Amino acid sequence: MKNITLTISFPKSIYTRVHKFVITYENWITIIVLSVISIISYWTYYANKLGLAYNDARSHLDIGRRVVEGLKPGLAQLGSVWLPLNHILMIPTIWNDFMWHSGLAGALQSMISFVVTGYVIGLVLKKLRVGFWGRISAIALFAANINILYLQSTAMTELLLISTMTLGVYELIRWHEDNTILSLIKASFWIMLSTLVRYDGWFLLFYATCLVISHVWRKKGYRSAEGTTILFLTLAAVGIVFWFLWNQMIFKDALYFALGPFSAHTQQEQMSKAGVLITKNNWWLSTKVYLYALLFNSYTYPSILGLLGSLVLWFDRSIKSEIRIATTAYLAPLLFNILALFLGFSVLFVQGISGNTWFNVRYGIMMMPSIAIFVGYLIDRAKSFRYVLVGSLCGVLLFAFANHDAVTIDDARVGSSQKNVTEVTSYLKKYAANQTGFILISAASHDAIVFSSGLPMKRFIHEGTGKYWESATAMPDQWARWIVMRTYDDNDLTWKSVRLTSGFKKYTLVAKYPFADVYELKPEYIKFLKTEPVYGKQK
Amino acid sequence: MKIRINKITIYSIIIGLILIVILGLSIRGNIGNPNSTDLLSSKWQLYGPFELSPERGRFALLYSIVEDKSFYYSIPIARFVVPDLGLKNGHYVSLFAPAISFLLIPGYLIGKILGASQVGATAVISLFALVNMYLIYRISLRLGCTRIIGVIAGLTFLFATPAFTYAVTIYQHHVSTLLILLAVTILLEKTSLISLFLVWFLCAMSIPVDYPNLFLMLPIGVMALKRFYNITDTKTAFKITLHIRRLATVSAVIIPLLFFLWFNYQSYGNALQLSGTVSTVKAIDNAGKPTNPDNTGSGIGERYTNPESQDKSAIRYFKPRNIINGLYIHLISPDRGMIRYTPVILLGIGGLYYITRRNKQVAQISIGVILADILLYSMWGDPWGGWAFGSRYMIPAYAILSIGLAVLLDSWKKSKLFILLFFIPLVYSICVNSLGALTTSSNPPKVEVLAIEKISGHEEKYTYARNIQYLLTSGTKSFAYQTWFSHNFSPIQYYWIVTSLIIIVFINLLTIIFFQITI
Repeated sequence: MKNITLTISFPKSIYTRVHKFVITYENWITIIVLSVISIISYWTYYANKLGLAYNDARSHLDIGRRVVEGLKPGLAQLGSVWLPLNHILMIPTIWNDFMWHSGLAGALQSMISFVVTGYVIGLVLKKLRVGFWGRISAIALFAANINILYLQSTAMTELLLISTMTLGVYELIRWHEDNTILSLIKASFWIMLSTLVRYDGWFLLFYATCLVISHVWRKKGYRSAEGTTILFLTLAAVGIVFWFLWNQMIFKDALYFALGPFSAHTQQEQMSKAGVLITKNNWWLSTKVYLYALLFNSYTYPSILGLLGSLVLWFDRSIKSEIRIATTAYLAPLLFNILALFLGFSVLFVQGISGNTWFNVRYGIMMMPSIAIFVGYLIDRAKSFRYVLVGSLCGVLLFAFANHDAVTIDDARVGSSQKNVTEVTSYLKKYAANQTGFILISAASHDAIVFSSGLPMKRFIHEGTGKYWESATAMPDQWARWIVMRTYDDNDLTWKSVRLTSGFKKYTLVAKYPFADVYELKPEYIKFLKTEPVYGKQK
Repeated sequence: MKIRINKITIYSIIIGLILIVILGLSIRGNIGNPNSTDLLSSKWQLYGPFELSPERGRFALLYSIVEDKSFYYSIPIARFVVPDLGLKNGHYVSLFAPAISFLLIPGYLIGKILGASQVGATAVISLFALVNMYLIYRISLRLGCTRIIGVIAGLTFLFATPAFTYAVTIYQHHVSTLLILLAVTILLEKTSLISLFLVWFLCAMSIPVDYPNLFLMLPIGVMALKRFYNITDTKTAFKITLHIRRLATVSAVIIPLLFFLWFNYQSYGNALQLSGTVSTVKAIDNAGKPTNPDNTGSGIGERYTNPESQDKSAIRYFKPRNIINGLYIHLISPDRGMIRYTPVILLGIGGLYYITRRNKQVAQISIGVILADILLYSMWGDPWGGWAFGSRYMIPAYAILSIGLAVLLDSWKKSKLFILLFFIPLVYSICVNSLGALTTSSNPPKVEVLAIEKISGHEEKYTYARNIQYLLTSGTKSFAYQTWFSHNFSPIQYYWIVTSLIIIVFINLLTIIFFQITI
């Protein structure tokens, strides 16, 4: 029987033009597509109200807001609890109430970071001579991770850190290849920025410095290594130096961020005393807990392929050994997080491994760009098995989307990273919004309440308000119409300060909720209350 | 007409007969044609061939269709099926994909005439297992392996993996595996309209056999799709030639899909309703109504007493976050892991490398099917497969890895050391899997053991040690043993006879390779 066929002929000129167009505008196409994904994703989580589910997201937004609005606005409000870059970047937009309460002021930088990271993944792979499909697959793998999509829609620090670190290592790889000062300066700039986002950046700085020393020493000897390292650190370490100086200037202690009462160290010490910091001094458990977080965040299969891809890359003699060595910097988040858990600087709960809840499981997402890069490399080198790898990855991602599988969202919704303060904020909205008078509250304990109340920052007297705080904690009845605090909890600075004052007796407990109780000044004392700011501009 | 019988034919006939004998000796079952009341007895359930709900569920549908002429279960049959019983529009219905029950009907009817209806139905599964063995042999030959090595690969799949256990009882795995292997075999031949038609038919047929087969068949479907077109690169243009008649072969999916839709309509009143999404009934009270299985009254009663309020989804239980645990369970765990139950088959992974060198297309399909199988069932919320022997979901992967094993053996056949080293895990795997086939598949997952121990008050084993315990205390579920040999041998002796028979066949075959004997 005659074979019936339909032949479609594509002139090569059309193919060449399309190919040329795609290659020429590949970067722009990537940026546009990622931007669209980013916006849709933000909108989705804004609409379903998950964008602000993380307690920390609300605290980040409040810190940024306090710089521009409140009883004592100013840069000092950046504080020491978290590194400052995230909050500094919020300043241009956080003054706007919508930008503050929608979380967009914080999410915007995460969204830009998402686009930048995807773009840089493509650049790194280009540098590793990975073809178009390998690059696209890697970018898609990064962008199709719900944990990444969620975190890029929030005011959290992960995406900003990921982008600065990915960029820093990319420039470091470039420098290993071209040895130009410009590449080294660019690398040091991005790494410097990462040191101002999270302490993971500090470890990257250490690792990158080791790479710089070893690279130059091997090529040009000790003298050159010394000079190049100093040049590198001059910019790369400036963020850390700034942070020490900042703490010295504001809190009169250069190590305040590390050892102060609000530091992670102090929190971890309390946890250690409570016996829940089980990873401390335990290498095996630290590694296990972090690997689980990493595998849960990445959907496991990409991590397995990433491991294979990294091995293929590091044993690929067609790539210069310097470049292969430089790419090991993409393992920095893995090493840092295990080390931080071991030393007790960090806490991470993975449901089923360490307790029955999630906490900080998002730390596992830090390796996602590295995994995407290694998988992209593997797909490129797999040649005839490319379709099998891409197909199987698509299958896993399909189920992830179909079942909304995202541990970071679980952590934010039902894990220890969430804080549902709806009840207490409903009370404040109902009774405090339309009446005059300040609310005395500890921002360190209850920033989520400050944020979710929807009230202006200047309605709150908190630790960062200087004389207002000092006066209100000494004589609450003269300053605060409401006091929000955890009764009988000495970790709550408000309770610790006001419980023994005579003025506190003039309050009635009007509401009791899981995270805080609300006290209101008895009506007979309201006439003595100060309801307007009186201190003017404080230093 | 002159029939030429050469030595290899005689040898093959002998091997084939021994195989049939071994499988015949291992088929689980009881003599008799049980009615719906008999099926509720412990003779047929706890101590018989219907110890677990997947076996009961498929047999119940078969029984209901043949004996009651209905897709709705009678109350006794519904009681037989719980806790995997469906409820739709007030009728008790099947929760399982329907094709297996239909495929077993001829075996059931023949068995019924011979006075052993359940054995007849189970023998159909054994027949599929034998065909699988043959297909592995065929594919191995196609990849350039010798006949002996092809037979070794097929036998390894059948007797040295948990596939043995599921070849002598009513489960869907051998049918799913057959569809995959048959499709691969067909794709290996020269492309024709009939071959493509068959491949599409098999792809579609796999869905009513077991829904996840849709994903396992995907690599095969993709490969078949590539046969629809050719891309030629001329100097000035790319020419895409679409073979219209080949494209038309996709119509082969209509027949299985129509059957599937018809069944859904008849059972659930909705052609598009998957049985996995039908409400589940966990227990039935004296009046024949759904009830709470937790008789302490502390359970969430509503979902049991009013099952139709349940919100079920066909894909909800497949989550990527389960992959870590799933991989552990399928590969390493003491209760199901391949490394514990069938270490010999893991050698097949090495064989995939050699397949790549011999035939890229087969390598692509092989890796695709293995990945689909292992990833899909690692994402599944119950990677243990309930109470089971070994990792039953991996049976299609075992079959593909057997082909890998064949190519590995063929590549290393001159190394006597390799053959000796191969023999050690082989014997271990045969001993373990014969235990599963001859005793019970009712091994709990490790995670359930503590709760069961609380109820039973004694240590509960969850590895194949449970099968050894069963052999020592309760004997064997083999139909042949119970019917003919129980007076001649103890269960342990019977186990050793069957196991030794299998090992002797392997020794015979390996000797031929070891001494490079030409038949």
